[in-house]
Amino acid sequence: VSGLALAGWIALAFGAGAYSAVGRAGWFSAANLALGMAALAIAAGRAVLRARGTAPPASRGALLRGLAGIALAGALGVGLERVAAASGWYTDWSFEQRTLLAPATLGALAELAPVEATIFRDPFDPRVRSTRLLLARLAKTGDLTWREKVIDEAPEDADRFEIRSSNSVVVEADGRFQVVDRPSEGTIYEALYHLRSRDLGVVYAARGAGEGQLDRTDGAGFSGLGAALETEGYAVREFVAQTGGEVPDDAVGLLIVGPQRMWRPEALAALERYLARGGRVIALLEPGTETGVETVLAEWGLASPNERVVDPASGSLAGEAPGWNPLVYGYADHPLARGLDDSRMTFFPGARPFELRKPRGDDTVAGVAFSSPRSFAVPAGAFSPDDAAEPAPDARVGARSLVVTGRYPREAGGAAVETRIAAFGDAGLASNHFLRSVYNLDLVLNAIHWTLEREPEITIRPKGVVSGRNQLPLPVQDSFTMFQGVGLLLPELLLLGAAWAWARGRGA
Amino acid sequence: VTAFRALFRKELLLLFGAPLAWAALSLVVLVTALIFFDHLRLYNQTIFLYSSTTMGSLDTDTIPDYVNLRDTVFFPVMETLGITLIGLIPLVTMRVFAEERARGTDELLLTTALTPARIVLAKFAAAYVFVALMMAASFVYPAMAIVQGGLGAQHLAAVFVGLTLHAIALASIGLACSAWTGSQLVAAVAGWALGFVIWDFEWVKSFRFVGETGSGLLDALSLHLHYGSFAEGIVDAGHLAYFVALAAITLAVAHFSFTWRRVAG
Repeated sequence: VSGLALAGWIALAFGAGAYSAVGRAGWFSAANLALGMAALAIAAGRAVLRARGTAPPASRGALLRGLAGIALAGALGVGLERVAAASGWYTDWSFEQRTLLAPATLGALAELAPVEATIFRDPFDPRVRSTRLLLARLAKTGDLTWREKVIDEAPEDADRFEIRSSNSVVVEADGRFQVVDRPSEGTIYEALYHLRSRDLGVVYAARGAGEGQLDRTDGAGFSGLGAALETEGYAVREFVAQTGGEVPDDAVGLLIVGPQRMWRPEALAALERYLARGGRVIALLEPGTETGVETVLAEWGLASPNERVVDPASGSLAGEAPGWNPLVYGYADHPLARGLDDSRMTFFPGARPFELRKPRGDDTVAGVAFSSPRSFAVPAGAFSPDDAAEPAPDARVGARSLVVTGRYPREAGGAAVETRIAAFGDAGLASNHFLRSVYNLDLVLNAIHWTLEREPEITIRPKGVVSGRNQLPLPVQDSFTMFQGVGLLLPELLLLGAAWAWARGRGA
Repeated sequence: VTAFRALFRKELLLLFGAPLAWAALSLVVLVTALIFFDHLRLYNQTIFLYSSTTMGSLDTDTIPDYVNLRDTVFFPVMETLGITLIGLIPLVTMRVFAEERARGTDELLLTTALTPARIVLAKFAAAYVFVALMMAASFVYPAMAIVQGGLGAQHLAAVFVGLTLHAIALASIGLACSAWTGSQLVAAVAGWALGFVIWDFEWVKSFRFVGETGSGLLDALSLHLHYGSFAEGIVDAGHLAYFVALAAITLAVAHFSFTWRRVAG
């Protein structure tokens, strides 16, 4: 019986293997599968007959009970697995909490629903597992359905969507589609945003006085901010402010990113006129530079002395003295800061403080993001970043506003308008180098949405998979040292244990 | 309870007294360390390449997001270890029942106060403890490296839970095989064969007669899919229940082997 069963299993294995390799039932696989199944059936039959022949009738009940036990264990096991799977309970221990979907992703999905996603994959591609996991989490919202297709089995679809590699996802909604080559929550979110194809208007970025460039792609550039604005639905255009021309009428807002030189008087006057007629300005200023924009903002109640905030609670970065680069975890109860709390920090690589004063009684000015209560301000340029700055004896130690906002009801051309300003004490936090650090992108984009009166767009966006810290866990040399030093010790001790067990066995 | 405890202790002593089990233990530890450190080395070299002066990606924060601990270290380590364990665990479990059967000492066991169910439970429990220790020892180095890097301790814990459950599932299969034969070699080979078959049914899904429902069913049975979720850092009730179910079924199969022998000889 055992020999026949073994032969049956071998034939089945070869039959199935041939079928799998060729992709169809040829004579070899069919014969092997048939013979294998026949051998197993005969072996099982003979075993049963043997049991009936040798066992007394009373024992047959025990046999049946044993088989029933296996069936019961199987049924209970499958039932337990199904119930547990249906419960959907899970806990996310991944270091980037990747299954906790960002409100922005859920919002975009709900807006586009129903959404269909298809994973195009090669067989045995292990990367598909995390993509499945991600789509399954998205599907639980009820706004997305998903399926899988093997590329070789759906060549027409693969051609239609121009699938270039396995583990690509096609996201479809409202008859349009986007292909995501490297699926992650962030890339799927971007695809959803592109499918929305919204037009939130034109944002002009001021140029001409050394402002940050939204098309510059290195670390000091701001192309990431430009791309993020386009993803959110804004068109971004340049505006050469230093010609003194008026801000174009189609502007929904003016972005001033880190000017390095003094603005010409006519440019400042144009800025004043734009604000007076209900303009929307988002200004990111740099500590240590005086550009004239500060003066305009001060007239609107958002004064920013030429100082630098030192926040000892933030520690040091890249060898600089502690506190030069404030890490912010204090936010006001303000629409702009919705979703941000003391566990969602923003990072300012150098910042200047703001002081607030309402120009008129019905105006509203507010601080939004603050340094820690241990912070103080020093005159810009008074200290080198290499030296630890100390507060002057009469200096005020306390939280400083690093991001401020203002709302100003005015009248222009006989109509009621509302001017809005959001000002940052730093531009570096929006640079390519730091935009994706912690929650900087959310703070900057939400400030822009608030200023442009797009409050519903304020949200927390999916984070990238990695940060610099996650990407450098252990120096290479340490890996070697650890492996060659300690890594081989435990196996050696265990092998010595094996030798001991062997010697002990021989002795016995 | 005393007899059960005595048998459990005897099984543990036998496992720790067997040179082959020690050898398998040291092999698992060595292989884990090799695989982990090799992936960590490759990962660090990739980071080094990107952060070199020429590419300057570390400064500009433009290292591709697929170069990260999960995709470059945890994930491939789990894949390789998962398959490696299929080969190593049956070496530990092959003798648990088969040796007693070959020597005829299982008949003696049945004359004690222990029921077949308790005998099976004691042997499974002892093997589980040994396998869990094996996994704990093999995780010393990855844990050290990750803790030293100040990262992903929770993720590492999920990987450890997954690997331990995977090893216990393979031990369950190996024990069930061992219970049905008097030959340790047959027990080991059967353990390997079943382990590899149940690992991933992707190859069966290529058959034309397997429809969408069949594919879903095969996915639900596949060890690889349940085990792989832990590499992602996800501890899911469905996957935990799968491993419990597998242990329950193999326990029942091993238990039935006693009944079968008594009835059919």
